[in-house]
Amino acid sequence: MSFLQALVNGALAGAVLALPALGFNTVYAVLRFPNFAIASIATAGAYAGWIANVLWGWPAPPALLVAFVAAGAVGATTDALALRPLRLRGPLTAAIGSVALDLLLQNALRFGFGNDPRGYDLPVFRDWRLAGISIGPQEVEDAGLAFITMTALFLLLRFTRIGKTMRAVADNASLAESKGIDPARVAWIANGVGFGLAGIGGTLVALDTSLDPLTGFRVLLSIFAAAVVGGLGSIPGAIAGAFMIGIGEELSTLALAPTYRTAIGFLAILVVLSFRPRGLLGERAY
Amino acid sequence: MLLAAEGLVCGYGAADEILHGAALTVRSGEMVAIIGPNGAGKSTLLKAVAGMIRLKSGTIRLNGTAVERISARERARLGIAFVPQEANIFPSMTVSENLEMGGFLEPSATRRRVSALFERFPILAEKKRTTARTLSGGQRQVLAMAMALMVAPTLLLLDEPSAGLAPLAAGQLFSAIASIHREGTAIAMVEQNALAALALADRGLVLVDGRPVREGEARAMAADPEVRRLFLGQQDLPLAGGSAPGPTPHRSTAIATRPPDPSGPGPHPLI
Repeated sequence: MSFLQALVNGALAGAVLALPALGFNTVYAVLRFPNFAIASIATAGAYAGWIANVLWGWPAPPALLVAFVAAGAVGATTDALALRPLRLRGPLTAAIGSVALDLLLQNALRFGFGNDPRGYDLPVFRDWRLAGISIGPQEVEDAGLAFITMTALFLLLRFTRIGKTMRAVADNASLAESKGIDPARVAWIANGVGFGLAGIGGTLVALDTSLDPLTGFRVLLSIFAAAVVGGLGSIPGAIAGAFMIGIGEELSTLALAPTYRTAIGFLAILVVLSFRPRGLLGERAY
Repeated sequence: MLLAAEGLVCGYGAADEILHGAALTVRSGEMVAIIGPNGAGKSTLLKAVAGMIRLKSGTIRLNGTAVERISARERARLGIAFVPQEANIFPSMTVSENLEMGGFLEPSATRRRVSALFERFPILAEKKRTTARTLSGGQRQVLAMAMALMVAPTLLLLDEPSAGLAPLAAGQLFSAIASIHREGTAIAMVEQNALAALALADRGLVLVDGRPVREGEARAMAADPEVRRLFLGQQDLPLAGGSAPGPTPHRSTAIATRPPDPSGPGPHPLI
């Protein structure tokens, strides 16, 4: 594989990875703890997308919307039921609780859908070839849908009242509350939006690979690495981090066996935490 | 009586009690200056009234309604606007967005009040698209106060508005506070610059070791030799009749030269 081919593949993978990374950072910014249940919530979104696509016969864009709504609902509800009481005991307790929640959700999905990989009902296209580089139309479409979703998130945060209150709580939660903003309501919205993005991301990952109860878990390290590299809690950071991890993982396959690609995530986390703990675009160290 | 807070006991932990029966009363349209030595609990008193800290005991009535058990958010709804000394703006948001969030409870009035505040504080109009974290210390304090004015509060709580400001900026801020007061807004202000605060206020309250030790007409208090001794940087003597231990290191009344960091612990910018 050529360098350019790896770069293109990495950029396309990074665009898809950016969605769950954005979700992770949105939730982190507002609730101040890393919610690792994002892996299985992304998988739950992918299954919801699969139901819409395969069982109901819907095309990809509305199926992604179903994935968004389902994952957002699962994420916000499980947070309110299971993690909210733990948050009072500190971010570490909530983070550990989220790992347990992830396992619970993963096994609930296994119970409901079984371990067999599922496929989506989408037309298969021949790869495009451009100057010696082959590009899959499906990957390009996925990246395009990811880009549209990112733009929608940006517009939400920049121009709507809901988005601004989310930013206000992320900036300074106690000041926001003293201005009359309800932090519990904003937490619901941030979880809904953040995990909704993870649901879309999970569906796009499943479209590209396969759908089984571990779909989200397999990319959890990459999601976390993208969030840490870009800066925990930072929206532009999540996007920058996702592209860096996506491209880094692909480039690593030029020199190493593909089994080592996940090591790139570990390596990136190690380097960033050693030399720039707040990440590339984060505002504070953790 | 607009605000009547009595017997306030609270702190930041079981072993760390700061207020030991503090009291604060503010009449409608009145301005009260809260002065006292470092660590006397002045800021904590404002936080307790605003609902930012949980009370162990005491009562707080706003227009006769008990508010000590309701959240800061609900107190804001009742007309209490608190401007903390630090972390009083949303640093990653623009000046306009900060004002919009200041007026969160009254969104229909946002446009009208923003343009009125831009007229009152032209510097904010000039910087309306600027990210708040890039403002100077004085500009941040003006923004923080303007955010509180976005809801036309019945009681404005100002925690050391001049802290960290150069004398010129502090002077401008004090004249803005005076004009807000003239328009009829009741204000309780904690200030290290005791003379400046008493010059603006109707009444003064001296807090020592979390207890009120003196209260009275601001002009008389500013002329009181004992208060002058304590807070005008002359001598460090305990207040007569006060059972509280003498005020340990007190701040000079000169404008503080503390480096400004009103943005607090730092932002989590979303975009």
